[in-house]
Amino acid sequence: MKKSLIYLEPNNYQNSVDLLEVARQMYADDAYETYAVSFASCCREAEGLFDYLIEVLDQQIQNFDIINTTNVLEELQQVYQFDSILIPATHIGRMLAPRMAMRLHVGLVADVTAIKHTNGVLEMVRPAFSGKIMAGIVNRGRIPVMMSIRQNVFTYQLGESKNSLRIEYHPKPAEKSKIELLSISEKEKTNDIRDSEVLVSGGGGTMRYFRRLKLLADEMNSQVSASRRIVDSGIASRSIQVGQSGKTVAPRLYIALGIYGSLQHIEGLKNVESIISVNTNKHAPICSLSDIVVEGDAEEFIEKLVDKIKREKRICHENDG
Amino acid sequence: MRIICLIKFIPDVENFIYDYEKNVLVRENVRMVLNPDDASAVAYALKIKDKNPETYIEVVTMAPQGVMLQLEDLLRLNVDKATLISDKLYIGSDSYITSMILGKYLSGINFDCILTGTHALDGDTSHVPAQIAEILHIAQMSNIVKIEEQSFGCDSAVIEVDAEKVFVKYKVVLPAILSLQKESKYKLPFIKYKDIDLYVRNRIEIIDNEVLGYEQHEVGIRGSLTQVFSTFAKKMDKKDKLVVKNDEEGINTVFSFLKSKGYV
Ligand SMILES: Cc1cc2nc3c(=O)[nH]c(=O)nc-3n(C[C@H](O)[C@H](O)[C@H](O)COP(=O)(O)OP(=O)(O)OC[C@H]3O[C@@H](n4cnc5c(N)ncnc54)[C@H](O)[C@@H]3O)c2cc1C
Ligand SMILES: Nc1ncnc2c1ncn2[C@@H]1O[C@H](COP(=O)(O)O)[C@@H](O)[C@H]1O
Repeated sequence: MKKSLIYLEPNNYQNSVDLLEVARQMYADDAYETYAVSFASCCREAEGLFDYLIEVLDQQIQNFDIINTTNVLEELQQVYQFDSILIPATHIGRMLAPRMAMRLHVGLVADVTAIKHTNGVLEMVRPAFSGKIMAGIVNRGRIPVMMSIRQNVFTYQLGESKNSLRIEYHPKPAEKSKIELLSISEKEKTNDIRDSEVLVSGGGGTMRYFRRLKLLADEMNSQVSASRRIVDSGIASRSIQVGQSGKTVAPRLYIALGIYGSLQHIEGLKNVESIISVNTNKHAPICSLSDIVVEGDAEEFIEKLVDKIKREKRICHENDG
Repeated sequence: MRIICLIKFIPDVENFIYDYEKNVLVRENVRMVLNPDDASAVAYALKIKDKNPETYIEVVTMAPQGVMLQLEDLLRLNVDKATLISDKLYIGSDSYITSMILGKYLSGINFDCILTGTHALDGDTSHVPAQIAEILHIAQMSNIVKIEEQSFGCDSAVIEVDAEKVFVKYKVVLPAILSLQKESKYKLPFIKYKDIDLYVRNRIEIIDNEVLGYEQHEVGIRGSLTQVFSTFAKKMDKKDKLVVKNDEEGINTVFSFLKSKGYV
């Protein structure tokens, strides 16, 4: 029976839980058990999905105190002998994983985005050279296999609900922390389209109702950008133009509404992970670069999607309350 | 105060050469540039030295001998010493072995603080700073955008960190490893005209395996715990697009996609 430990990062529980998909892909048909470890009381998101939920009971240890969290994970490794340890590649996870790997004298693969099996060998795939190439990395035999995993890449589809067993773990007394938190401040929202993780972008097809794009952008905490057609018509300012004579943007998601996708426009898109395009003409060039093409009117799309998001948020809210 | 800057020279990423047969990066004969995050680390150290001239700065890098010219330029900027850890045996070391080798050198010298970059543009693992901190059993923090100058003393430092959704201010006990990111906006100055040809070779120390004494099988590709097994170009451009309509099914497809990627 293989054992996999997943670190639940308090800043992103959902994403940590999704690492179950990595375990599933690693062990495929082998029998395996999943353990979650959390330094706070265990999150609801993990309930019923893991075989074991380990709650570390020491109020003193904070997630940024990597020396102490490493100490605890090392203790757990001695007790449970995990075959793999999976850590989300968050700001905190990317400091914890390497320290832990060095402590256990095992290799570590950073920022994994896919799992492959080649002739029985486990390949951990990650981007290299700013994403210009992908590399499949293998581990030289030492156990546990360790990796940090790129956020929001894997999604775990609920399997049958499990009877998660809670384990209350009392670690050895913590060392005095070498790091003290002084304050937390919100990031100021900038209006630069280059800083937005998602862009809701409008072109010639949105001329009559360009202002409505903001409704969708607001629901997704993102910004509105435009093609030159919109800017030249005086509907939007040059500062939000994407393209050769505008700005080069690298959002993770680009939603192209009524944009044809001329070369000069595409020129402004660098390392965009996904594109969704909405166009009355599904043969417009932008569509062949898209993950999803919605064939239809962009105004109608905005209205329906905003509606859907609002409805889902409400349902979520009611469940919380 | 003694500051060590761990710096890495990376192949000019825009024009790198990768040997797809052997799955190694061809580092010889490629123009090497200082990793941008690391430049911020050196820039900060120089800024401190500007204010407190008794500050001593040593840059340490593990790299092929070809980076000598770049090291000379740093010395002309008022860095006191450059240490080049270089040996044919070390070629192909993964992040674990690189950290072990650098860690062995660092364990033998004195310092008040180690400054590094957060991640390097080539490997982009961010492993080395945290792993060396483990070897030295000191604290480490990544994604630093500011180190308060007046706080930067011999026993602690106040730093500001970009923690994804928020900025966090911490106080860290020194010695520690503080890893800056280029967004900190600490920029290297230009070499003063009078120093352009300054002789600085005598301030570069080369350390090879004679000094560090590893067995052949412990380092390089053979010693590494991970190995590049295959490489392939990332498929960009044409995708297996999914075409849907503005109906309920289409909107649900879009919504599920957004949800699965964490956008809503
Ligand atoms: C030197 C130079 C520099 C340039 N620089 C830039 C630049 O920086 N940025 C830039 O964007 N352009 C630039 N251009 C212009 C570029 O060539 C295109 O003319 C421009 O991008 C077209 O904008 P568009 O796709 O929004 O509009 P259009 O070409 O008008 O395309 C509209 C699209 O919307 C679809 N559509 C129509 N109605 C609807 C509806 N109701 N719902 C959904 N879809 C609908 C249509 O099928 C079509 O695909 C430059 C041109 C030159 C010569
Ligand atoms: N070979 C090396 N020599 C010196 N410092 C290094 C080396 N590799 C990595 N570093 C340091 O570790 C940081 C993170 O690099 P990496 O772990 O490769 O992403 C860099 O910004 C450097 O400060």
